[in-house]
Amino acid sequence: MSDKKQQVSRRQFLNYTLTGVGGFMAAGLLVSPLRMAIDPVLKDSASGELVNVGISVDDITDVPTRIDWTVEQVDGWYKSEPSRSAWVYKDGNGDIVALSPICTHLGCVVSWEGSDAHPDHFYCPCHDGLYTKDGVNVPGTPPLAPLPTFEQEIRDGMLFLGNTIDREGA
Amino acid sequence: MRWQKSDVDKYVSAKEYIDTLIIPLIDFQMDQDLENNAFQNEVLTILSNELEKELTGRIMLAPSYYYIKTFDKDQEIVRLNHWVENVKKQPFKHIFLLSFDPAWKKSEQALDASFVWIPKIQSGDIGSKEMQHTIREQVKQIGELIRSYW
Ligand code: FES
Repeated sequence: MSDKKQQVSRRQFLNYTLTGVGGFMAAGLLVSPLRMAIDPVLKDSASGELVNVGISVDDITDVPTRIDWTVEQVDGWYKSEPSRSAWVYKDGNGDIVALSPICTHLGCVVSWEGSDAHPDHFYCPCHDGLYTKDGVNVPGTPPLAPLPTFEQEIRDGMLFLGNTIDREGA
Repeated sequence: MRWQKSDVDKYVSAKEYIDTLIIPLIDFQMDQDLENNAFQNEVLTILSNELEKELTGRIMLAPSYYYIKTFDKDQEIVRLNHWVENVKKQPFKHIFLLSFDPAWKKSEQALDASFVWIPKIQSGDIGSKEMQHTIREQVKQIGELIRSYW
């Protein structure tokens, strides 16, 4: 009699264990965002490194040229090699300007003189967004902020780019 | 925009700007040509993703439509038109169907969307420089085609 009372059925046992595991998982979900907020050591730092984008400073002219490169990235579920792009040129002082090609309106890819109607501008094909050569948005077109620039460095005559830097709107 | 929550959130708040939907049509079939079938699937997926990246502010990339190649096309068209009819209500003004399969071309008239046939890419190393170049070139051309409708 007492023997029967003590017995845990297979189903009950599975139920107990699953609730246990589920509880741990729930706890994990609660804890991790908190930990990320508190503990800066856990933050992903790999994306901040400067990368050789494969163009030498001597090859950069005053005409914006699109360059593409890849970075290694682990985020969430995937390890990937997303491609990055920039428009680079030398300004009047001979300083290198590297601009993000991502339209600040809704994210389409802009191109230098991408529309015959707007020479000397970056053009976004999605909703006719315009930016002047320095990447500043033209008022009256949809984008409200300039194209971001990149953290940059020159090492041994090669251009290295890092994270993008947002800028205030015109 | 992609069919994932973060992008759909953006879509909902900027609907008036996103008027174009793209549906990749991919044939799935396990016959003697398995490798090629998987390869074409991979290529069309990459191609659609790249296209979405270029024009993300105005297009939504729908989940791919998979079908058996030898199955009766008329029935597929009925089903596919249900997709189109459903998404049109959002509204989407332009709907493009992308495919390597020229068989759709014959029934183009019966489709309620614009069919874009893309020439097949010969088998090769998907990660190679040439392949990236070819895909980029195709993305550019399809992008131009889509823009001509805007
Ligand atoms: S996404 Fe560039 S203008 Fe709208």
